Amino acid sequence: MWRRSSTSISDDVAGALSKRWRAWCWSVLAATIVALAAVLAVNALVDPFQQYRLASTHPPRFYRLHHRFIDPGLAKNASYETALIGSSIMESTRNDTIAAACGGPAVNLSMPAISASEIRTLLGAVYLAHDPRRVVIVLDFNALAGAPDARQDDAGPLPTYLYDANVFNDLPYLLSGVVLRKSLSVLLNRNDEAFTTDANAPWFWANQVTFGRAEVLRGLDLRDLNARFRQPARTLDGMRASFERNLLPVLSAHPDTRFDLVWPPYSMLVWLDFLQRDQLDVTFAFKRYMTQAIARLSNVTIVDLQAHDEITGNLDLYRDLYHFAPQVNEWIVARACAHIDAEDASNVERYERDLRARLAAWQPPVVGSASWNR
Amino acid sequence: MLFNSYDYLVYFLPIAALGYFALGRNPRWSVGWLVAASLVFYGWWNPRYVPLILGSIAFNFVVALLIQRMRHAHAWMIAGVAGNLMLLGVYKYADFVLRTLAQTGSVPLVQLHLALPLGISFFTFTQIAFLVDVARGKAREPAIANYALFVTFFPHLLAGPIIHHAEMMPQFASASNKRVAWDNVARGLFLLAMGLAKKTFLADSLAPLVAAGFDHPASIGAIDAWLSALAYTLQIYFDFSGYTDMALGAALIFNIRLPINFDSPYHALDLRDFWHRWHMTLSRFLREYLYIPLGGNRSSEPRVLANLLVTFLLGGLWHGAAWTFVVWGALHGAGLCWLRVRRREGRRPLPPPVAWSITFVFVVTTWVFFRAASLPDAFAMLRAMAGFGHAAAAANALAVAAQGTIPAAFALVAGLVVVAMPRNSNSMTRELSASWLAGAATSAVLVAAILQFGHVAPFLYFNF
Repeated sequence: MWRRSSTSISDDVAGALSKRWRAWCWSVLAATIVALAAVLAVNALVDPFQQYRLASTHPPRFYRLHHRFIDPGLAKNASYETALIGSSIMESTRNDTIAAACGGPAVNLSMPAISASEIRTLLGAVYLAHDPRRVVIVLDFNALAGAPDARQDDAGPLPTYLYDANVFNDLPYLLSGVVLRKSLSVLLNRNDEAFTTDANAPWFWANQVTFGRAEVLRGLDLRDLNARFRQPARTLDGMRASFERNLLPVLSAHPDTRFDLVWPPYSMLVWLDFLQRDQLDVTFAFKRYMTQAIARLSNVTIVDLQAHDEITGNLDLYRDLYHFAPQVNEWIVARACAHIDAEDASNVERYERDLRARLAAWQPPVVGSASWNR
Repeated sequence: MLFNSYDYLVYFLPIAALGYFALGRNPRWSVGWLVAASLVFYGWWNPRYVPLILGSIAFNFVVALLIQRMRHAHAWMIAGVAGNLMLLGVYKYADFVLRTLAQTGSVPLVQLHLALPLGISFFTFTQIAFLVDVARGKAREPAIANYALFVTFFPHLLAGPIIHHAEMMPQFASASNKRVAWDNVARGLFLLAMGLAKKTFLADSLAPLVAAGFDHPASIGAIDAWLSALAYTLQIYFDFSGYTDMALGAALIFNIRLPINFDSPYHALDLRDFWHRWHMTLSRFLREYLYIPLGGNRSSEPRVLANLLVTFLLGGLWHGAAWTFVVWGALHGAGLCWLRVRRREGRRPLPPPVAWSITFVFVVTTWVFFRAASLPDAFAMLRAMAGFGHAAAAANALAVAAQGTIPAAFALVAGLVVVAMPRNSNSMTRELSASWLAGAATSAVLVAAILQFGHVAPFLYFNF
């Protein structure tokens, strides 16, 4: 294929050629290394996703679509004693609200559609640099769906290299062209993508949407309430396996941390959806299992806020089936950290009966001439 | 480990090369280092299969000894080939066979769910060829370290090219290959950059356009279907030939010349020409170790056609354990049979533009079976391409093409331009000069491609 120097040319010419190729190689390598080192230096110094330090020379940028990259930075570098972890329903919770209710300082590490496996990975980042006094985990049933190691990889794999202490595997961050553009936009003070600079409410979205019954019911398919979110079906065995793989070991390994596991107040429509999809019994069975699973852990409390139909039946407090207004977020953290509605093996069935009764009695709103499919 | 990863380019390749040349004064140490590095490369994601490949190497080395030293060489060779095929069968084809049997209703469905060890098709074929050639007296028993390097040498280990011991063993045994040759390093870097550019800027950028059609074949129109099929035609070429360029480039840095695998295949004027240009080392393997042993051209005409068909059916199945690959192979086999019949009848060759158009459209169309998730999906895609799809959705793929870091539409046009160019990466590498322009271009492409690896994708669930 590619022939080495022809034997017909003299050694001198061959030597000169070799020197020329050597110079060419070193030039290419040097130029490449210098360019990459420059990118690495800019990204490391600006650190737009705050992986190595919190932003101090420029206002921090919390990009609305990059929780998965910024949260591990906050987990490692923010100063806090209480961490809140949840899905998008908990994003509109301010840090000072958490601190006031649960002890501070506090940080909100929620991220959209977080799975149990991702909670485990995120907690790994939390414990790298902190020994938090309190961790509030607002559990979404859907986080426990699917395989125990399931992650929300629709947008590419979770950047696990940012969730550990090994800087040598951070090259996808340090040598990323996308991160370089973010760094340059910070340096040039440009706004390339939606973000907030409010470190007290990094993921707050409630001020950008409308809440209310009309909003909740808009476009809702009454016969298929799951049409919009397409939440997967769950099994008791699958949820147990996920809990035992992802959460139980962390709860057991940190007896000095107080864990508050919270069942959030979904709107009644979610329970109707569960009813439609035959997910009600598995959901209650899992809640009963949970009380057994954590019974021997004195550092763990379950708080069940799902039977409060003054909240869950008032659709004006919601944007859709799942997402509630920020005053509900405040109500949740206040009750969670005060252990109001604490649930254990002795009262879990009462909570279940209560919720079932409220669900049966609840009159769903009328939407045109369509009827509800219970 | 992927070629287009930081782990490979920033850590693995430089360390492997430095160690290889630093130990160059002692060739055995050099070879040992490269074997160890190759095993690290192989086991990087999942070390579970390192014992499997080591076992396969030991098995084949022992069988080669038995073929050479014992009586009944042919029987030992058959036993060795059977052992290799059994390994491949268990890991790659067992579930396919069990599923097919279950579909006939004769047995209940049982699946082994074995994860496919990386590169098993490649290292198995490489070693089958070695055993056959030992039995034919064409190959001699090598030193165990050189043999291990022949099988594991990381540039070809996961996706070829499928190498031949005759072209590799002398290179592994050569002491002079353990010293730095700067012209090879230069050409290696150049090829590496070319391969990265093909993979990163073209193949990966085309993925959304491909997915837009192939993920929803029953709900797309003709324009979408043709765009997707064309995008896949380019994606698979740039992906595979880009990978091969990176493999050849990395090997060349170590003064090892791997055989070329692609030679502008979409310039082919007929299918025979295509298979002389596409995955050339697989074509060589199938010709030498399947088609010719079946009788090749030296048989009756019906037998020759049957040999061709069988060779391509099995060639299709080699690519994957699914009926889609079998159909893809069968179509190419049938196409080659048709060509042969035409030639035997003394028909005039078609004018080049017509011949090229027919060949290209045939290749694009048959790729549908290669890419589709199932036969029904493939037929749905073909229906859409024939104009019987849902025309209302015809703009979807175009909309997708407009998105992305490097829009797929741009990659599609750029890909077509690159494919049409008279020079390919082989000729450009051969003619590379030590000019500053070539150096600057190589460095710029390397940097730009590496910056593309760190994909920071927005999580769009937020838009609930």
